[in-house]
Amino acid sequence: MIFDDFMVGFGWLAAALFVGVSAYRIVRLARLPLNVRWEVYPVPHEAKEKRHYGGSYMEEVDWAATPRAASPLPAYLEIATEVTTLKRVRDHNGYGMWPLSLAMHWGLYLYFGWLALLVAGNVVHGAALAYLTIAVGLAACILGAGGSLGLMVKRATSQDLRLYTTPLDYFNLLFLAAFFLAGLVSWLGDTSFAAHKAYVGSVLSFRLAHVPAAVATSFLLFELFMIYMPFTKLIHYFAKYFTFDRALWDDDFKAKGSAKDRKVAAQLGYKASWASPHIAPGQTWLQQAQSTALPEGRK
Amino acid sequence: MSSHKPVSFADVARRGDDPLVTLKREALMPLPGATDEPDLQPPQARWLEKYDFSLDGHSDFDIPKPTTPEEEQRLVKGFLSGLQKLFDPQSNWPFVKLLKLSMDYCVRCQTCSEACHVFQGSGRQEIYRPTFRSEVLRRVYQRYFTPSGKLLKSWVGADVELNGKTVWRLLELAYRCNICRRCAQVCPVGIDNALLAREIRKLFSQEMGIAPKELLQKGTRQQLQVGSTTGMNRAGLKDTLEFQEELIEEKTGKKIKIPLDKKGADVLLIHNAGEFMSWPENPAAFAILFEAAGINWTLSSEMLGYDGVNYGAWFDDVELARIALRQVTIAKQLGVKKMVVGECGHAHKALCVIADRVLPGDLSLPEMPRESCLPLLWQIVQSGAIKFDPARNNFPITLHDPCNVVRLMGIVAPQREIIKRVCAQPLRELAPHGVHNYCCGGGSGFAIMDTLNFSQWRKAVSDRMKVKQVLDAFADVLDPATPKYVTAPCSNCKGTLRDAINYYGLWEKYRIMYGGLVDLMVNAMVDLPGGFIDLNREDL
Repeated sequence: MIFDDFMVGFGWLAAALFVGVSAYRIVRLARLPLNVRWEVYPVPHEAKEKRHYGGSYMEEVDWAATPRAASPLPAYLEIATEVTTLKRVRDHNGYGMWPLSLAMHWGLYLYFGWLALLVAGNVVHGAALAYLTIAVGLAACILGAGGSLGLMVKRATSQDLRLYTTPLDYFNLLFLAAFFLAGLVSWLGDTSFAAHKAYVGSVLSFRLAHVPAAVATSFLLFELFMIYMPFTKLIHYFAKYFTFDRALWDDDFKAKGSAKDRKVAAQLGYKASWASPHIAPGQTWLQQAQSTALPEGRK
Repeated sequence: MSSHKPVSFADVARRGDDPLVTLKREALMPLPGATDEPDLQPPQARWLEKYDFSLDGHSDFDIPKPTTPEEEQRLVKGFLSGLQKLFDPQSNWPFVKLLKLSMDYCVRCQTCSEACHVFQGSGRQEIYRPTFRSEVLRRVYQRYFTPSGKLLKSWVGADVELNGKTVWRLLELAYRCNICRRCAQVCPVGIDNALLAREIRKLFSQEMGIAPKELLQKGTRQQLQVGSTTGMNRAGLKDTLEFQEELIEEKTGKKIKIPLDKKGADVLLIHNAGEFMSWPENPAAFAILFEAAGINWTLSSEMLGYDGVNYGAWFDDVELARIALRQVTIAKQLGVKKMVVGECGHAHKALCVIADRVLPGDLSLPEMPRESCLPLLWQIVQSGAIKFDPARNNFPITLHDPCNVVRLMGIVAPQREIIKRVCAQPLRELAPHGVHNYCCGGGSGFAIMDTLNFSQWRKAVSDRMKVKQVLDAFADVLDPATPKYVTAPCSNCKGTLRDAINYYGLWEKYRIMYGGLVDLMVNAMVDLPGGFIDLNREDL
């Protein structure tokens, strides 16, 4: 009874920590200063006729005076495509990581889809939903376990990859593999996922239900992973929004008096506290930029 | 997979003067066709006594090695102090977000490795892999600044000892990347390892005053104090322009008065001042084209107003902001409608893109537009104001895409459209090309860095992929009876190609030459006598 109680509470705790810590890290990143423009083409939100060859608005004369109607949609679609197909890994990785990485990532996506189906199963009943839940759950665990273990082997057996792989990286892959494998093992004793569905239902309704040991182990590992993940680089999926949309594709120039301009103006008031001889001590960035009359001996 | 002796991260801290790797010509990426490439020479014995060559036997830094523990300690302390500032949102506001993202979220999948021309050109030497220097920096940072690194040490990879050798090798590693950012283009997470190379450069420059002297002392410092990185002052500029007018008359028979400090002109043209010295026909060609097209244009004689370069883009944000601020202020004071950047890649990127967010509102892009010359040149061609005869340019031609103009600004089509209209033969595209091009090998300052034996490394390793691409593009016309032209609308790219052509003997063996885009345009102008490009030039 105490264990069942714990399992219900832990489910909520894991979800809350996952969301809370992820949100905290996202907010921390978002609150960092506005970076300078540093884009790399192709930029997906460029005009359609230029996008395919990587062209930009700067191919035109007098572009600063020409209104732009860039839609953010193509950029989000590009990120979604990268997240779902890992096409850059497919096209450019020379170590054969794409199928394994894709399997691992899809294992995770399907796992979340399976959880959603388990939630739905507590509300709606039907054979189709039940079969779909089994298919998605099994696919998630097989792909996830195969991908994670495959990546471990790949990293351990390639001299080039091994050099860059830390014990923590292996641990992360092992952790992923563990909860996927535990999912498979728990399915062996609950082939219809009925007990899994009951557990999810008990968490949602705060009504305690008995959880078989294998199912409890599977969910415990997953929930531990949910708590652990936001503290690591495994949450690079949200980093992609910042690296792509806010950096590599951030081609927006500022206008005088705009929100961006005000932000830059504030940042130009920060102290540039570097110690080199060519940098005057104690000055703001704007003062540094405006001055070359450096103190004696600092030229 | 690399066939070289494995290098570990711990090796970066290895004591002694032995280099981590010794480059051999035969181990570098093979080139198609025969070249006159010389064997790599070891550093001179007198240099070895005084300077540090312990990364790969090459260096641009004639800074004496630390000789006492105190000197070494000063180096380490300076590095740690700078590293801390790199992560400070005030001290490094221009890049701290991108730095943190690239440090924290790289999954080390090595997808970027295949994209790097230095790594490929070197024959896959581990130390040149885009992730290698980043990983050293990451491990040092974790070890000294993060709770997980301090607590878990090698478990999280925080295992690189920081001593004088680590610091020095990191400095050298930062100058083994052209910052072409091809690696960032292919990264599935959007990690920018080239940015990390630049951040390391910045740490050394902004905190410790250490940078290649061609970039800092003879570069940004000289430009800010004299007016140009070439050392040319206002009086020198006026002499140069007189020479330009004579050159134009000699080559075309036309008398042109180059407009200087013309208030309220439509266009302030700003060249890389190195063009006046090394390729005077290039600014002369601009003058011919602008005059023929009836453009209301001018040059500036103000300090920095006649030199569009901004080496700060390669290594120092403070110097970058200082130079950009002065250049744009000059244009504003002159009352011109816009600035147009001549054939100089990094000047494009610095003025039109990076400077956007380091300048105050009065100097924003809509207040003082800053554009590439390429769309304007294409507009001139389209306007019909000048008649071109493509038959004047009847030779095999290829086009190098300067990274700063193409991959980093998305200006891809205008130069191709121009070539179609002024050349007789179809453009032979390099493979790959456009935004996926390879750097010439001279990017981020390498083209002008020639202290000690650094230029040997550049010619043998970082230029290598471009040489391969050029030879591939002309594979069916290599016969020296047929002159061939590599168009490179960028000063640094031209300088790099010039050196590579000499180093590999491509002129003598294959009659491969290089030049700018405007040179081709003027060569094809119907109302000029022709011969603006000398296909038999011996001064390459």
